[in-house]
Amino acid sequence: MTDYLAQTAVLLGSLWPKLVDGFLITVAIAAAAAPLALVFGLVLLAPRMDARAFISGPTVAFIELMRNTPLLVQIYLIYFGLPVLGLYPSEFACGVAGIALQHGAFLVETYRGAIESVGARQWDAARAIGMGRFTAFRTVIMPQALIKILGPLGNQLIVLAKDTSLVSAIGVMELTMTGKLAIERSAASAEVFVTIALFYLAMTTAIGGAMRLIEYRVAGRS
Amino acid sequence: MTRAMAMIEITDLRKSFGANEVLKGVSFAVERGEVVVVLGPSGSGKSTLLRCINLLEDWQAGDIRIDSETVGYFDGGGRRRAWPEARAAKVREQVGIVFQSFNLFPHRTALENVMMGPLHVRRIAKPQARALAAGLLEKVGLGDKADQYPATLSGGQQQRVAIARALAMQPKVMLFDEVTSALDPELVGEVLIVMRRLAEEGMTMVIVTHEIPFARDVGDRIIFMDAGAIVEQGPPAQVLASPSSARLKLFLRRYQGDYLAV
Amino acid sequence: MVNVLVTNLPYLLRGALVTLWLAVIVVTVGTLLGTGLGVLATGRSRILRMAITVYIFVLRGIPVLVVMFLGYYAFPALGVRVNAYVAVGVAQIVYVGAFTAEIVRSAILSVHPGQVAAAKSLGMRRAAILREVLLPQATRIAIPPLVNNALTAVKQTSYASVVGAWELTYAAREIVERTLASFQIFLGVMAIYFIICYPLALLARWYEKRLAVSH
Repeated sequence: MTDYLAQTAVLLGSLWPKLVDGFLITVAIAAAAAPLALVFGLVLLAPRMDARAFISGPTVAFIELMRNTPLLVQIYLIYFGLPVLGLYPSEFACGVAGIALQHGAFLVETYRGAIESVGARQWDAARAIGMGRFTAFRTVIMPQALIKILGPLGNQLIVLAKDTSLVSAIGVMELTMTGKLAIERSAASAEVFVTIALFYLAMTTAIGGAMRLIEYRVAGRS
Repeated sequence: MTRAMAMIEITDLRKSFGANEVLKGVSFAVERGEVVVVLGPSGSGKSTLLRCINLLEDWQAGDIRIDSETVGYFDGGGRRRAWPEARAAKVREQVGIVFQSFNLFPHRTALENVMMGPLHVRRIAKPQARALAAGLLEKVGLGDKADQYPATLSGGQQQRVAIARALAMQPKVMLFDEVTSALDPELVGEVLIVMRRLAEEGMTMVIVTHEIPFARDVGDRIIFMDAGAIVEQGPPAQVLASPSSARLKLFLRRYQGDYLAV
Repeated sequence: MVNVLVTNLPYLLRGALVTLWLAVIVVTVGTLLGTGLGVLATGRSRILRMAITVYIFVLRGIPVLVVMFLGYYAFPALGVRVNAYVAVGVAQIVYVGAFTAEIVRSAILSVHPGQVAAAKSLGMRRAAILREVLLPQATRIAIPPLVNNALTAVKQTSYASVVGAWELTYAAREIVERTLASFQIFLGVMAIYFIICYPLALLARWYEKRLAVSH
């Protein structure tokens, strides 16, 4: 037993620097994709909620396509497809783009749900004291919607962080890919992946904790 | 009436929620067939008291005896130990309760609600359970609503179904926890009528309510509670007409028109 | 141009069949497992509740791909030889089970506590309370998230290709590497996944509307 532990410790010790590097790449992918997804969701929000069918129709179609097909296939499409058009972005860029597009599409629905859930009565209250539509939106609806978004947003960010593992499929040296390569060179495969799992767990727990903290402080102030 | 025949005996009951002591040594008895009305401001512990009697709540000290049996806790090798859930469930079969928020099962019709107890607890066969339930619904004046779902019934009707549901278990005691407080005023009467009839039939009842005239007419004894303790008790005519404690006087003033009393 | 897609369609459809197989098994077993655990997580045993909470927390915190890799490498490590499908399938079942458990547990806990109080007051025991009062009401609440969960699981079967199991996405990559017709093939594959998944999305939304109306 102690033999086993000692061997595992040695193995993990030698792998550690590579694992940390992989983890940093994972964090980099998430850090790049998350803001892009948030913005992309906002960009889609107006067309999505537009009353004119020829604008909201294609937007909805795009969103539904993104939500009902696997992210992996979307990433493959970008990675294998762009070269056909003469573009050769890096694997990293393809991965970030794929993740941002899919999560942006999911976020539009989150934004829309939060705004619609603030409800007619709040609009009534704002207009009743004489506010114009834009002021009402800015000072009454949006702050409340922002608070409602925090919960689902936190969950979405955690999913995003986990989805970074998919870019291992196109060769990016993030955490999961590092694990795959490490295994090909040694026998302790299960142990390596358990360690990798722990890395991800640490990351998602940190994100979850940070989001709860933010929710708490925002809710406290209002 | 001898002491040993009391249906409910509560001795020095103490209950806390965390650091907050809600019942501070409550003691009283309810005789067989007696109707006791408990009055008091909110937070005085009235609901908690009822929920202790039917073992929905635990308590830290004191005894509750129902029909001469000590319930809730037993002496396990010198230590006070809580009853297992199965034993508590058996006692609950004999103590009926009606809640302020009705708590009817929304996915079952009125008849099926009333049948719940007989069918799944007393294990009566379905045809008999149905007949028993139909009879009880008739008794509370809702025979024609048997196949309606709670959502289509008014508050007063739902509460009467809730009473029928509790009666279906043929309990020895019926507890009423502010059963008309959530009702529109014009629906209160139909529920009080059912309760009065039950009292006339000799059911042992403990009623928490704000309906003072009802308490005067139907109650055999009034208990006034405030801040977790019994402040005053006695026959309605005496307690309500000439209250001796300042707190009860204040309480009654508010219910007799002086709504700004503090 | 579209010819490439048409020529390879039979091959892709065989892959789609494997995907469907995987999806059906994973969703069925995973949901059953998760429902059982979700019910237990609302029970009276504190140890069981804590254990299930840990299980849910861990599995929700790691990517499904990593769970699949773990499954793929854990079996040989324990001395059991299984094929890629079993390894990936078991891994995904465990993963779906965790999410299902959380959905079911939430749904049961969201039933108004007065319902349980009323049932207990009639003398009902835990099994009867679950059967007659909690589960009928919790099921309605749980169905939309469970359908969405199934939808996600179907999409996640595609990740099995990364671990080496042959299904629709694996087949697609094979063809693209051979023909270089990436747009046609991957868009075609996306269409196939869409045809499988979109009805599920609609079902979840329809059921959600039904729920909202009756409250």
